[in-house]
Amino acid sequence: MPKSMGAVKQAIPAEIGGEADVAMGSSGTAVQAAAGRKILPIVEGVVLVAALVAPLVLQDYLTVFATRVIILALFALSFDLVWGYAGIMSFGQALFFGSAGYGVALLARDLDITNIFLVLPAGTLIGLTFSLLLGGFLLLGRHPSSVIFVSLGTLTGSYAADRLARGWYYLGGQNGIPSISSMTLGGYEFSEGPAFYYLVLGILIVVYLLCRFLVRSQFGLALAGLRENEQRIAFFGYKVQHLKAIIFAIGGAIAGLAGSLYAFHEGFVWPNMVGVVVSTQVVLYVLFGGSGTLIGAVIGTVIVEGVSFWLSDNYRDIWPIILGLLLLLVILFRPLGLISFVLGERERVGSFGAKAKESVKEKRNAP
Amino acid sequence: MANAFVAAFEILSFGAIIVLIVLGLGIIASMMGIFNFAQGEFVLLGAYITYLAYAKGLPIWTGMVAAPFLVGALGFVLEALIIRRFYAAPIVAMLGTYALGLIIRESVRGLIGGFYLTVPEPIGGSIDIGTMHISAWRFTIIVITLLVMVGCYLLLSRTNFGLRMRATLENPSLARASGISTPLMYGATFAFGSALAGLAGALIVPVFSLYADLGIRFLIQGFVAVMVGGVGSFIGPVAGAGVIGTLSAALPWVMAPVVADVLVFVLAIAFIKFRPQGLIAGKGV
Repeated sequence: MPKSMGAVKQAIPAEIGGEADVAMGSSGTAVQAAAGRKILPIVEGVVLVAALVAPLVLQDYLTVFATRVIILALFALSFDLVWGYAGIMSFGQALFFGSAGYGVALLARDLDITNIFLVLPAGTLIGLTFSLLLGGFLLLGRHPSSVIFVSLGTLTGSYAADRLARGWYYLGGQNGIPSISSMTLGGYEFSEGPAFYYLVLGILIVVYLLCRFLVRSQFGLALAGLRENEQRIAFFGYKVQHLKAIIFAIGGAIAGLAGSLYAFHEGFVWPNMVGVVVSTQVVLYVLFGGSGTLIGAVIGTVIVEGVSFWLSDNYRDIWPIILGLLLLLVILFRPLGLISFVLGERERVGSFGAKAKESVKEKRNAP
Repeated sequence: MANAFVAAFEILSFGAIIVLIVLGLGIIASMMGIFNFAQGEFVLLGAYITYLAYAKGLPIWTGMVAAPFLVGALGFVLEALIIRRFYAAPIVAMLGTYALGLIIRESVRGLIGGFYLTVPEPIGGSIDIGTMHISAWRFTIIVITLLVMVGCYLLLSRTNFGLRMRATLENPSLARASGISTPLMYGATFAFGSALAGLAGALIVPVFSLYADLGIRFLIQGFVAVMVGGVGSFIGPVAGAGVIGTLSAALPWVMAPVVADVLVFVLAIAFIKFRPQGLIAGKGV
């Protein structure tokens, strides 16, 4: 038995390395050239440039796919904030994503409201409300909740929402709500294509920068401390539970924004969108890419969705098995995700607060 | 009267099924502190093995007997190779076992396709009591559940093996100092929990038929049951499973099934929030 275990141990890192080479293919050379310098801004820059030129080189149907990936990356960002930065395991992030999707779908169906300036804030608000309610209930209270309770509580919430959506006739039952009309801006309709792509890319960049500011602020520092040692932060006098509830609500709001974009982009919502399937999907993205770095969540989404799209023609059946195996390998041997191949621990944790020079430099390089 | 009796039997048999599924989950959660997301897939494997035996023309009984042993053996191997690395971090354990479950589930899906495959009941027909008919197989499940429950209880509380197991799980370093091989005990506990899941799968497959998402269906109910009952003892999760199983089977008789479905979860989470230690607090059997 010990012999065979040793063999497995040796075999696996080689495999994972191979995978990462494939994954990082485009950015690999840039990263190596800059070894020893700050890598994070370079990675971010490469991803930004790739995202900006993507619709110019991709065929139309691929642009539609890329739009979906960008929306999902926004969703992954929300989970990364909650898990990667605050250490709250939210197994029910799809609850906020999906409920916002359902919310805007109902607005479009019943009230005929599709104005972008109304539906996106509405979706965000729905996500925020649900995450405040659920987060407040699970996280606040006289006794601090255990990690297990929060993760299973969010999972159960998402599962219950799924069942409710399936059984409620008003929400369309099993079929969900089909053919949602397009999002509009005045007379202009956002249909699938480059315009929609750049819209969601713009939103992603804005949200990304806000998150980046947030996690590098004093608040982010407190969160990082919370993740590393909750008790110590509590002894410093922070209201740990409040911090957690705040970040959980912010995550919910972002998930809501992503969910409303997703609903309008796909043109329909269905029960899976609030359920366990999508909830675990977003966990996969972030674990793959690397939790605790914002760009890791984005990269993870792109890789998982990209490979799954690429393989889905020929290997549709075995792709989930491969995904499971890769996930297991990442958890066992690369707990910090693929980004940790290029990003050192020091840079992942990052610098905080009033290091004026550093942050100015970072801002200039950042997307 | 007859209707009430049939309803009571339905509720009881569903409760028994939930108890059967939660037994293994509860033992692993209580004794090892791991919420095993792959437990549902162990149930699925048990069901799949039974189906294989049936498809190969063997008596269904052989499949049902083989399922717990095969799934238990798989559990032992997985514990030694993978689960062992997760003990320090419960959340990582959840994610890791989720990945394992994904692999098993999708493999089975690949093998059986998207179909619902039926397996006949080894004991068919119904038991007639006066004018009432109850399914003989569901009745058998209730009886087996009771036997397994009592068996597990005796194993954990009365035997030398049970004592070593509890010692390992309560205080590993002291157990090691006393000459107990703790890695072996962890492996045995996990294998035992998996074997119970395999048995559960084998027994329920005639009732629910075989499909790839069979395990998922019960997993979350199982987790909620374990939390409601209280992690840390053998009897806690069993009690929780009884409550959750009974509620989920009973509520649809008095209200719309959709509302009942969601209400059970909401009630359970609220209960755990205000009584985190569960129905039955404390360690032990």
